[in-house]
Amino acid sequence: MNQVWQGRLEKIDDYRWKIPRSYKPGMKVPGLILASDSLIPSIINDKAVDQVANVAFLPGIVRYSLAMPDIHWGYGFSIGGVAATDPSEGGVISPGGVGYDINCGVRLLRSELLLDEVKPKLEKLVNALFSNIPCGVGSSGDIRVSHKEEEEIFIKGAGWAVKKGYGVKEDLECTEDNGAIKGADPGGVSDRAFERGRKQSGTLGSGNHFLEVQIVDEIYDDKKADIFGLFKGQITVMIHSGSRGFGYQVCDDYVKSMVTALRKYNINVPDRQLACVPLDSPEGKAYMGGMRCAANYAWNNRQCLTYLIREVFERIFNKSWTDLGLALVYDVAHNIAKMERHVVDGKERFLCVHRKGATRAFPPHHVDIPEKYIEAGQPVIIPGDMGSFSYILAGTEAAMTETFGSTCHGAGRNLSRSAAIKRCEGRQIDKELFNKSGIIVRASGRSTLAEEAPEAYKDVKEVVEVVHRAGISTKVARMRPLGVIKG
Amino acid sequence: MEPYEIIEHTADVGLRANGATLKELFQNAARGMFAIISGDERHDDVTPGTRRTIQIKKEVDALEELLVDWLSELLYIFNKEKILFKIFRVHELNNDGIKGDAYGERMTPGGTAARTEIKAVTFHGLTIQENMRGFSCNIIFDV
Repeated sequence: MNQVWQGRLEKIDDYRWKIPRSYKPGMKVPGLILASDSLIPSIINDKAVDQVANVAFLPGIVRYSLAMPDIHWGYGFSIGGVAATDPSEGGVISPGGVGYDINCGVRLLRSELLLDEVKPKLEKLVNALFSNIPCGVGSSGDIRVSHKEEEEIFIKGAGWAVKKGYGVKEDLECTEDNGAIKGADPGGVSDRAFERGRKQSGTLGSGNHFLEVQIVDEIYDDKKADIFGLFKGQITVMIHSGSRGFGYQVCDDYVKSMVTALRKYNINVPDRQLACVPLDSPEGKAYMGGMRCAANYAWNNRQCLTYLIREVFERIFNKSWTDLGLALVYDVAHNIAKMERHVVDGKERFLCVHRKGATRAFPPHHVDIPEKYIEAGQPVIIPGDMGSFSYILAGTEAAMTETFGSTCHGAGRNLSRSAAIKRCEGRQIDKELFNKSGIIVRASGRSTLAEEAPEAYKDVKEVVEVVHRAGISTKVARMRPLGVIKG
Repeated sequence: MEPYEIIEHTADVGLRANGATLKELFQNAARGMFAIISGDERHDDVTPGTRRTIQIKKEVDALEELLVDWLSELLYIFNKEKILFKIFRVHELNNDGIKGDAYGERMTPGGTAARTEIKAVTFHGLTIQENMRGFSCNIIFDV
């Protein structure tokens, strides 16, 4: 199904490419892709560019349909897509612009541990994490909640976990939206979604979700790294997970109802997966209420996972997690839609920013970032593939003026899952990673390892370099994996 | 004409389903979806013992909506009851809804494990096309 992009892509500068409105009749704004010359061939080699053009059809879209350099073919929106819509101009909300895994995101924990202390126990640590963190297809965990408690999770997000003793209030301060977005409405959640959410708090999931023990191996900005509490040689832990079956069900329920509602609101989109309704319609408000429940569920999930990880570290190192310094650096969402204030052409507007595989990147002194990071800007966490680096960056003013305060979210896939499996046939990816880089990998399924093999992804270095040079976020530190748990 | 084939998609998984009739197309799409989930493409001639009846009453303008509903319903039952379905029989299919049976086996701990988690059935690029040999469509799953 892959096909090379046939349309016109206008190069604006080294890192910016425009899709003119003339590409497809019906585009309300142009498309803008942030990428380098070397990333462009793989980008035009699939349908992602066409998807950026399709998003430009959304009613009320402001300025551009944007794509970050990790752009690749998704469904509806491309992965790496950003679009802001204005409710005062008939702007819409599209569940496909958030995705099924609502508030899929990443969090980074730092520690006071150094490689010398961890290396002799690394295998034991990775094995213990693998057996204590529920992962894999449809995994459920030990944290089971009643209907009433589930409602509380929908509203309080990670605050529920903290109240239960699965974290501390400092964790909330270092989570986007303090771990709970306001305006969640359990009334907008179906019985099926309730049922699916009951047993999945504190579970990793499968596919590209992971848990990594890492070492900080490069510092690019001493001052910001110091503010984030990061230093060279330090052990960190990264978690990538989302809202699990609960979020999938919320999205599924609303995509179906919005496909029907397209006719009611006389909205034309080139792909049904872009089904959308006006933000101020009853359907739009109901989705926002339900989607926020799922976003809060995801923050609670990553908080519960943090608790399980801290428990394992305490047991392996025989010290309390506070003594180990296992504190949260930050937690970011990369599949979400949020109401935010942005200045467009000198005028402040209240917009709905869809980030589908894109990370918020707010600048220093922004009102929505933690007090302690005020001079550095919001931490942005960019995971790479399991054989290469992950990065921590900081948000910038340029992101506010150009990308609605957004940046990339990861390496972005290069090969389809089936192509990756074919490429890895007969190989043992876990052994290769260990022999080549000493990385210990544990996965619940062998096919996951092949699907997620390093060569299936774009070069994360190049993606990060583009956002850094384009100015929409700035490099702070780089982490290298030591141990990986895959779902 | 193959009942289904798995097609390339960069981030997710795609399926091309074919059928001499629309009912067969819906059956084959379900077979393909469960082949992705289980990682097992062998076709079983023996009808497994656990049956679930799916009945969706919904007025639709386009059958694509019912196809997504049918597959989503099977996926929901799989997630809830851990039944790996293998054989599908669509009895009724029109613009007012669908009725069919799915036969499968409940997964047991230590037994057959699911390989791929399908998060959802998407509408992305979904169009049922009529051709010389019947009907075909491409379906993208979020995995």
